[in-house]
Amino acid sequence: MNPFEEFRQNVTRRHFLSAGSHLLGTAALASLAPNALAAAATSPAAGLPKSLTHFAPKAKQVIYLHMVGGPPQQDLYDYKPVMDGWFDKDLPESVRMGQRLTTMTSGQARFPIAPSKYKFEQCGQSGMWVSEILPYMKKMVDDVVFIRSMHTDAINHEPAITLMQTGNQVTGRPCLGAWSSYGLGSLNENLPTFVVMVAKSTNTEQVQAISARLWSSGFLPGQHAGVSFRTAGDPILYINDPPGVSRDVRRASLDGVNALNELNFKQLHDPQTETRIQQYEMAYRMQSSVPDLTDIASEPESTYKMYGDAAKQPGTFANTALLARRMVERGVRFVQIYHNNWDTHGNVAGRLPMQCADVDQPCHALVQDLKQRGLLDETLVIWGGEFGRTVYSQGGLSHQNYGRDHHPRCFTMWMTGGGFKRGTILGETDDFSYNITKDPVHVRDFHATVLNQLGFDHDRFTYKYLGLDQKLTGVIPARVVHEVLS
Amino acid sequence: MRQPQLVKIVARKFRASIALLSTVACCASAQSAELPLQYNRDIHPILLENCFSCHGADSASRQADLRLDRREVAVDKKAIKPGDPDASEMIRRILSDDADEQMPPPVTKKKLTSAEKQTLARWIKEGANYEPHWSLIAPVRSPVPKIGNSWWVRNPIDSFVAARLEEAGLAPAPEADRRTLCRRVSLDLTGLPPKPELVEEFANDNDSDAYEHLVDKLLSSPKWGEHRGRYWLDAARYADTHGIHFDNYREMWSYRDWVIKAFNANMPFDEFTIENLAGDLLPNATLDQRLGSGFNRCNITTNEGGAIPEEYAVLYTRDRVETTSKVWMGLTAGCAVCHDHKFDPLSQKEFYQLAAFFNNTTQSPMDGNIQNTPPIVTVPLAADEKRWSEVAKEIPVAKGVMDARRNEARPAFDEWLAKAKPEDVAAEVPTADLDFLAPLDDDSNTIHYTLLGKPQTAKLPKTVEWRPGHVSAKAAYLNQGAVLTDKTVGDYDAKQPFSYAAWVKLPANDASGSVLARMDDRRDYRGWDMWVEGRRIGGHFIDSWPQNAMKIMTRDQLPADQWVHVAITYDGGSKAAGVHIFINGQPQPTNVIADALTGTLKNSVPFKIGQRNTTSPMSGATIQDVRVYSRQLSESEVASLAKLSLSAVVATPPEKRNEADLNSLYDWWLTTIDDSYRALSKNHETLVREQADIQARSTSGYVMQDKPDKAVAYILNRGEYDQRKDEVAPATPAFLPSFADDLPRNRLGLAKWLLRPENPLTARVTVNRFWSEVFGNGLVKTAGDFGVTGDLPCNQELLDWLAVDFRESGWDIKRLFKMMVMSATYRQSSITTPEKLEKDGENRLLSRGPRFRMDAEMVRDYALSASGLLSEKIGGPSVKPYQPPGVWEAVAMIGSNTRDYKQDTGDALYRRSMYTFWKRAAPPASMDVFNAPTREVCTMVRERTNTPLQALVTLNDPQFVEAARHLAQQAIEARQNTDRRINFIADRLIGRSLHPEELTIVRDTLKKFEAHYNASPDDASKLVTDGESKSDAKVPVPQLAAWTMVTNELMNLDEVLNK
Repeated sequence: MNPFEEFRQNVTRRHFLSAGSHLLGTAALASLAPNALAAAATSPAAGLPKSLTHFAPKAKQVIYLHMVGGPPQQDLYDYKPVMDGWFDKDLPESVRMGQRLTTMTSGQARFPIAPSKYKFEQCGQSGMWVSEILPYMKKMVDDVVFIRSMHTDAINHEPAITLMQTGNQVTGRPCLGAWSSYGLGSLNENLPTFVVMVAKSTNTEQVQAISARLWSSGFLPGQHAGVSFRTAGDPILYINDPPGVSRDVRRASLDGVNALNELNFKQLHDPQTETRIQQYEMAYRMQSSVPDLTDIASEPESTYKMYGDAAKQPGTFANTALLARRMVERGVRFVQIYHNNWDTHGNVAGRLPMQCADVDQPCHALVQDLKQRGLLDETLVIWGGEFGRTVYSQGGLSHQNYGRDHHPRCFTMWMTGGGFKRGTILGETDDFSYNITKDPVHVRDFHATVLNQLGFDHDRFTYKYLGLDQKLTGVIPARVVHEVLS
Repeated sequence: MRQPQLVKIVARKFRASIALLSTVACCASAQSAELPLQYNRDIHPILLENCFSCHGADSASRQADLRLDRREVAVDKKAIKPGDPDASEMIRRILSDDADEQMPPPVTKKKLTSAEKQTLARWIKEGANYEPHWSLIAPVRSPVPKIGNSWWVRNPIDSFVAARLEEAGLAPAPEADRRTLCRRVSLDLTGLPPKPELVEEFANDNDSDAYEHLVDKLLSSPKWGEHRGRYWLDAARYADTHGIHFDNYREMWSYRDWVIKAFNANMPFDEFTIENLAGDLLPNATLDQRLGSGFNRCNITTNEGGAIPEEYAVLYTRDRVETTSKVWMGLTAGCAVCHDHKFDPLSQKEFYQLAAFFNNTTQSPMDGNIQNTPPIVTVPLAADEKRWSEVAKEIPVAKGVMDARRNEARPAFDEWLAKAKPEDVAAEVPTADLDFLAPLDDDSNTIHYTLLGKPQTAKLPKTVEWRPGHVSAKAAYLNQGAVLTDKTVGDYDAKQPFSYAAWVKLPANDASGSVLARMDDRRDYRGWDMWVEGRRIGGHFIDSWPQNAMKIMTRDQLPADQWVHVAITYDGGSKAAGVHIFINGQPQPTNVIADALTGTLKNSVPFKIGQRNTTSPMSGATIQDVRVYSRQLSESEVASLAKLSLSAVVATPPEKRNEADLNSLYDWWLTTIDDSYRALSKNHETLVREQADIQARSTSGYVMQDKPDKAVAYILNRGEYDQRKDEVAPATPAFLPSFADDLPRNRLGLAKWLLRPENPLTARVTVNRFWSEVFGNGLVKTAGDFGVTGDLPCNQELLDWLAVDFRESGWDIKRLFKMMVMSATYRQSSITTPEKLEKDGENRLLSRGPRFRMDAEMVRDYALSASGLLSEKIGGPSVKPYQPPGVWEAVAMIGSNTRDYKQDTGDALYRRSMYTFWKRAAPPASMDVFNAPTREVCTMVRERTNTPLQALVTLNDPQFVEAARHLAQQAIEARQNTDRRINFIADRLIGRSLHPEELTIVRDTLKKFEAHYNASPDDASKLVTDGESKSDAKVPVPQLAAWTMVTNELMNLDEVLNK
């Protein structure tokens, strides 16, 4: 008999429309094995997803420290002693070459050069020059690779930070962390794959905007979006049971929910119901894992010697750096930290030392800590902003103080771990720290290189969207910067 | 869940290979072997996946000039010889083993299966027939299929669905029981669960039209407009902030109200389209029609310092084209920004021709970080509407009388001037309550100034230098530091009226800083200042920034490198309306950025010229004649200050006075000396103030407004704003019906063009979107992409029938929804079977009723409604319900007026979720977890994930816990018996009573909860005080706690979270 006809006879036999009856199963359904249906459930929690890597990854995990606002490379890493003789002289047109400027300074009558007021010292085997306001970095130049020849396309924060995180100046695409989550999957069943923390800066004179769109999953499935790990209140939104609900009460209520959902599943056989049961269980496990993760009181005093006492204070960069290490230990795949207030349009002297004091010691501590725990080889640590800053001064200029506008044509980043070389310097800029003279590395090259270390050929690591094979590095060719890889 | 593209492609390939195998095997399915291959179904997917990126529509990436998407080109280039695969170069190349010849080239890593190769060969043998892309052929009303099981059919939808089910050998699911159906249709038509009484009434209504009556009742509910409007706001990308950088408040909820009203009035979709796209361009457009055009003002905007306006103007236009294309045409036009669309026949030129329709706006690319970015309209309170229109007429009349006086008073002025002495002008400069005066014309190392009438001196700081002045020879040039510091000046309370003024010359950059300030920037910025930002000037009046502060800035930029006189007066009323900014004596239009001062301005830091106490130096500006008065100066007094140099005009011999100077002097004379003009001016001012007061009480509407010029756009190389190529005029793409000559070449014409019967897309895309709201997926799953890369319709005949029927019905939305929910298809139960899971896993064939997790807003509204907490109010400003602390603060800039989330109280906590304040940089936290979009761009399909973070929301979020407690309390009060209490709750949450097996489970957990809360009364009190509303003191706390947890348990059922 054809199914429709069979159905018709069933309908005639049973009065489905009768009041009060609920979802009576048909004869065919009685013989149904629920487990077969459950197997059809698709769920991230139902076993860890398979990784999509093209080759063996060098880096298993990533900690990305983004300095929001764009640190001034010539005051920190890109040493330009020649500029001392150029104080208050105009930036030669032959250097600027008609490059577009932000409207912050495009109307300025002059572009007077502001040499860095800071003393630099050549450090380590690599002989990297480092500014006096980064004393801890001086001690670890041989642990990292510096790229002094980073460059980007955007000259304002919003498009530049979006490009840095998602490979495109226009919003709406997945960020590096989301791509990593999509491609590599989870390393644990109790914590999110991709975590974002926003650290507070001590000084807040020129804090820039960041927004949840920076850690969105774009066109990738939603579960790859970054989970915001907060420094005040619940670390993960709604992770804590309501006041007065003990773990036992919660367990009892979940047992009830699950049992009732199982009954519902037996009637409707919707695979999503089984998925939901699994997700509720994962939520419960997550509730137990997070307090363990955030219990930094259990850290020995030596930890705080390394990271500084600021690490005890929730929300400081030092605190997020310490948490990042604890997350990596527990199998969080990608930790993104934002530290704000690097947008030094004015008052470099008043602000930059505080910015450096926020991050210098904790960065050093994080790298040393990962190293001593044997985690650095598999954990890639990245430090950098969304662009650099101009050699000429924005606003007033004196020997003691000056301001610097946005500069896309060169800036410095450093990386370590995850198969990157250590104690190496790549790239050179001209005397003005304005144009790159050797080994330029575009943002997309940086992305290609990071993906390479995670086990992906950036050209083949794609996701079909709008009929196109979308990729992090976009349509313009990008290259893996092998010079910085070991 | 998103279906991986791969699965889709495999499925298509599978279809194709089945067809092929059957020819080989020549067995049971011989029938399909006789049917010729269909290009759209069988061939196009193969070519799309493997060939078109190099041999398709995009001219930039095309290889060897060969297009395989155009038959004539493919034949001309000898790639295809129809009827003769062996003589076709394409077949030779795809079969070749030679790496240099093979297609697709090995380097592309694309590979054809042997089945695909054979399909292509067979297609060429059959004549290589092409078909236009399905969605580009205008839909015709498909004949309603004749099916075997017509007994099942309730309306034509069912015939189309049954035909597919019969084909697939599937039976429909039985009709859902009445309670389930009542809940489902209530959710679909109002977005809210039905009240238990309604369920009961319907369940017991034996009338044969009972269901139709229920549907009609729900369709006439005002909740209908809210629910439909909520979906539309995703497409319109509506939100309450600008989106980029400061992400400040944008006051445009009047558009949301307009949308709700339109759906409730069942405005036909053609009218709705026209008002959304071009309400402003309708002849004699009403306020309501103009408000509709807010659709194109919902896009994200910026005011980031340093941003290049043209770059953003291009981005906004681009967003408007993309949104319009997606919403009405289902086209992903964005691909053609940089190059010809790779797959759809949309060229880059055509993209910019569409852009030209939107490229003629009067809107400035920089939104000013203000809540009312022009062009806007005022939407007065109902009570003000009459006076609002009267005042608008009275003001020009009053102005006319003033002008008449100006015309006739010149002789009196000449008479005065003949006798005037320079001191007469100078004497008008106000001296009363002049607390502080610093001429800053010293040109020496000592600065002289007057403090409360007593002369003082100060040492010149190193950072300051003397430069040429304006009202005197020298002026102070500021460079990273203060000119003058004084502890006494300006320590005013917020209740103290005061005024401050100076002559300034600003540099030509967008830097910001304080010209004058008494401000403690280390302590919440308490104090006041004269502030420059992007060459606009204004002032802060701050207790603590930004929550307890005022900030007012001029709307227009000041000229660079020119002397201007700036004065700010304040009436001591702690309201932005009491602050006036004057440039050269003229009151300026201002933007109010903050207006929430309730505290004081008093602080313990000194007054400084040139910066705040420690930060924000105003570098590169020149300044002189700084004055601070401890009273509010009148407009004419300010005019006198600004005309200080006019004494020089009087001193000049008459024959040497020039016309411009004389006119300035005349203006001054009218406003200062001439009594009749002053009286008329006062009258005018009163009316202007009344208008301002009405405006202050009103809300605004963001609208579109075109410049009178001819609309044009430029083709942009790779989409770069600064790489203009050819200029283009507004036009529609060639692959769509032509743009009739009788249509205006503007947005209004575009809207009408979209609605023409020959347009193949609009009606289809629209019914598909409405269909997806009810059935969870569109008939075309990619609701925003009907192009060649989009999904094929799972039932095109049905889609086309619906599209034509909808258009011919006069675009009647309620009628369409009624037809959908009246169908047998809709009324099926959602029971599934292994067979259906296998053959119809995603329910595309509609072999069962729709069941899917509700959208974020519905999940929250459900809890509020079922518990009786939901506010019935419709429309109005956005509200801020419970949200964990720190969600906004974590991402927002300091100084953003959406940095601090100040939770509302009372009714505002319980409004429908569509009224929740939508900050784009941090969307409502609990809704974000349930896939609510950021509303940065148009969203046509929301994702529907199922994650642990969602479980945490419905288990732990106070708004759900409070709702549970509220419902628990009602159950306790209404019923005595445990089972009846449980069912009281179940009736409200799932519209039915529980089965015995279910009851046992709930009773068991209740016992555990009771044991815990009886033993731990502290826990019980903590739980029942979560949330703002108070619980009934008569209910014992441990009992209420235990029942709250029972309700929380039931609220988390899959059956509750799913429609």
